[in-house]
Amino acid sequence: MASFVLEIRTEEIPANALPGARRQLQDLFAKHLGEAGFTDFLTAVLSTPRRLIVTITNLPQRQADRVEEMTGPPVRIAVAEDGTPTKAGLGFAAKAGLPFEQLGRLETEKGQYLAATVNHMGRTTSEILVEITPTILSALRFPKMMRWGLGSFLFVRPVHGIVALLDDEVVPFGAFGITSGRATVGHRVHSPQPIDIAHADTYAETMARHSVMIDPAQRRQTLETAAQQLAATVGCRVHEDPRLVAEHLELVEWPGLIVGSFDRKFLDLPPEVVVSTLRHHQKCLILEDGDGALQPHFLAVIDRKDDPEDLIRLGNEWVIRARLADAGFFFSEDRKRPLEDTIADLERVEWHRILGSLEAKAERLGRLAVTLSGQLGLDLSTELLCRAARLVKADLTTHMVGEFPELQGVMGGHYLRLEGADEALWTASRDHYRPVGFEGDSPASTLGRVLGVADRLDTIAGLYAVGEKPTGSRDPLGLRRAAQAVVKIIIDSAWTLDLEAIIGEAVSGVAGQATEEIDEVRSAVTLFIADRLRRWLTDVDSVSGDTADAVMATGWADPCETTARAKALESVRSNDSFRALALAFKRVRNITDGQAEGEVDPTLFEHPEERELYDAILEFHTALKRLLPEHRVTEAFEAMIPIADTLDRFFVEVLVMADNKEVRANRIALLKLLGQDFLTLADLSILQIDGGE
Amino acid sequence: MDLQTLILNLSRYWADCGCIVQQPCDTEVGAGTMHPESFLRVLGPEPYRVAYVQPSRRPADARYGENPFRLGRHLQMQVILKPSPDDIQGLYLKSLEAMGIDPSVHDIRFEEDNWESPTLGAWGVGWQVLLDGMEITQFTYFQQAGGIDLAPMTAELTYGLERISMFLQRKDSIYDIEWGAGVPYGHIRLMDEREASTYGFEVADVDMLRRHFEDWEREAGRCLEHDPPLVVPALEATLKTSHLFNLLDARGAVSVTERVGLIGRVRANAVGAAKAYADQREAMGWPLGNALKKEVG
Repeated sequence: MASFVLEIRTEEIPANALPGARRQLQDLFAKHLGEAGFTDFLTAVLSTPRRLIVTITNLPQRQADRVEEMTGPPVRIAVAEDGTPTKAGLGFAAKAGLPFEQLGRLETEKGQYLAATVNHMGRTTSEILVEITPTILSALRFPKMMRWGLGSFLFVRPVHGIVALLDDEVVPFGAFGITSGRATVGHRVHSPQPIDIAHADTYAETMARHSVMIDPAQRRQTLETAAQQLAATVGCRVHEDPRLVAEHLELVEWPGLIVGSFDRKFLDLPPEVVVSTLRHHQKCLILEDGDGALQPHFLAVIDRKDDPEDLIRLGNEWVIRARLADAGFFFSEDRKRPLEDTIADLERVEWHRILGSLEAKAERLGRLAVTLSGQLGLDLSTELLCRAARLVKADLTTHMVGEFPELQGVMGGHYLRLEGADEALWTASRDHYRPVGFEGDSPASTLGRVLGVADRLDTIAGLYAVGEKPTGSRDPLGLRRAAQAVVKIIIDSAWTLDLEAIIGEAVSGVAGQATEEIDEVRSAVTLFIADRLRRWLTDVDSVSGDTADAVMATGWADPCETTARAKALESVRSNDSFRALALAFKRVRNITDGQAEGEVDPTLFEHPEERELYDAILEFHTALKRLLPEHRVTEAFEAMIPIADTLDRFFVEVLVMADNKEVRANRIALLKLLGQDFLTLADLSILQIDGGE
Repeated sequence: MDLQTLILNLSRYWADCGCIVQQPCDTEVGAGTMHPESFLRVLGPEPYRVAYVQPSRRPADARYGENPFRLGRHLQMQVILKPSPDDIQGLYLKSLEAMGIDPSVHDIRFEEDNWESPTLGAWGVGWQVLLDGMEITQFTYFQQAGGIDLAPMTAELTYGLERISMFLQRKDSIYDIEWGAGVPYGHIRLMDEREASTYGFEVADVDMLRRHFEDWEREAGRCLEHDPPLVVPALEATLKTSHLFNLLDARGAVSVTERVGLIGRVRANAVGAAKAYADQREAMGWPLGNALKKEVG
């Protein structure tokens, strides 16, 4: 069997483009080789920042020969009466690539047909690769593509070389103005001279010898092992950071690591500032002691094996010292006046071109927080809420947040704490942007939670009111995540509330600035947030989509109550009797939809099954009245189940659409009564049950 | 290596690579890209290579000379190579040797960093080049300028000269780096950084700036409407409006609402100048040659 190796050598490809490129190459080669009739081949797609690499093993030298049985036109059409071929007959012969005389005959029920047996010679694998590889390369898509040089080609970065070998033979083709061959180069520092790849099977070891670790998985392992060892040399352990490690893998051809230190005095800065500097700005791995406390050391990933003159360590230490000193400068500038004093600046900072300044934002936030707190019956004064609304936004005017936008809230929390503010207040500042979507913890204090929900509802309502709602995959302002955080905080807090009413208040709060029709804004925001609650039900509570729809159809404004119903319904819906009930309920809905309301009159019952159903409904009604106030939702759903048999018998024995008008109305009223009680829990007709209509 | 030696060595190096060594744009600009030698020369099919130092004014970045890392006016070494040569990364790495940096003992990285200038209607893709964790160069393949899709493509290198000097000299403050002849940067620049900060943040006359913005905007329009259009005067008038906008912004006089509108007005004239330049060169028959045609022939 033969092996294929392909290396596309480029200038440094952005880290975020590489995983997608590997996936596409994997899929495209599988597709094209599959279409060429190959099976059982093994594809591995690897990469470094400067190379996209495909290795395929277990390939045959050529496609298998293939015998094709072709059926042509009926003989009566293809052959004239004198036995000579007609136009149709000659056409088929040409298609089969055989002289007419060599065509066979095939007997079928419909008569005799022309037939041909055609032998297709398999093409060589090299020929196939020559054909498909350029096609695949031109099909690759990247988040951002570019042109270079004369501008003739479009790719993620300029291409400099192509290695394409099937065993030891070059697979010759052209792409990006380059002809494929066997020449490449090694690591930029350790092995920059040209090298030739002798055989596809020796590619990996040749590259390793020239200091290129082509497998991202191997780079990860090397990096993680080295990180632990190096951390231990300064008595630390590595703060787990899989996302950063994953990024580093894509940034180096050979993962090296150095340990550096910085002055302990910088640990007096808030730890988030030091972490932001090291991690976000310098992509360093954070080192901590056994208790998780930040230590004055760091690990920097480098793209080489060594630091021969110790210059790399010194350089990194210098940069980090400079950056930390810069942060320290801004921190001490900010500390020159209490955060309270910066509230006056909020007016001067635009939050949104139509929705106004940060002061206007904080004003609305305070008012909405008061409404929310009132509805929840919380012990938070209007004065406290309105002051807190401004204080938690005050850090947006500080130098530190200007430099480190990712530390919004966190810096305010530190400043307030250092100024001796209440714990509920400084944690509210720290936490009110959390969680992000469904990820992370809800704010620690009730104040933080109230402000967090009110802030996001105001933002969502405001942006909808000025026509900046998310569309399709575009959500630049993160409104979906904001709405998800609202849902999560409410559920984490086990609040009982009328979310629709609060949304209505939020929308009224921005009515003055609205450029869109305000009633439409209200219903759009309401639907938007309902949809995020549905997302919580399906993604976090893992209930199926139709369960979520069924419970939300009967009301969702109290998210905690809604999640309880959804979980209960999900647990009972697999019960056989319950499935029968859901099917029968669809029938109930079909019969009663659009029919007039009415009182049930038991004296009009003609069949025992009517009485039986009536009693069952009354019993269920009593059960609901007892169970729901105690939040025993699962039991309430279970109480439905016995009705299934009763309802079945009813439909077998009783004709709802009786000739007698009064009897008919009474039967419809009976079914409506059942429907009403069921609908306090869920609209079962929405459930998709196998065996349904 | 002191700052002036750094400038001299880089200039010499890029001159040896076939660049014209130009002088700075004498209108205030926020970046070397705005110099007509970059912004206009990247348009059309004519090959061009140029290098120059550009003092770049960013009034909002000024810090009264109190922050050891930040300046309201800093020096950029700008290099334009059109079409972008095949061995551009190699050429760039050799320029580091001209700066006294031996790439074989350092960690040099090209990390994605794309560039976009809303005021110039321009964007490109590229990297920031990191030397031992320090950003030393912005490396961009221009894709569009003045709203015009480019061909051939230009590679732009922008070296932040003070930062590189701090790093090479291992100084903890910009003001301590040696400029040349044993004179520190602070002796030459500290006072005017302080004054420019006071002026930009506190003193600049907002009404006057607004008035001049209108005046220069109109002037750019007049240059573009002139028959034939006056390309460089139009661009220079546009650069004035860009600088006036930056001053207004530093002064805190631009609301977020207004910002988008003002940037759009600057861009409209920048795009107009770019278009006029492209037409002018075409009418002249591209005196510097046609890189695209050369390849075909």
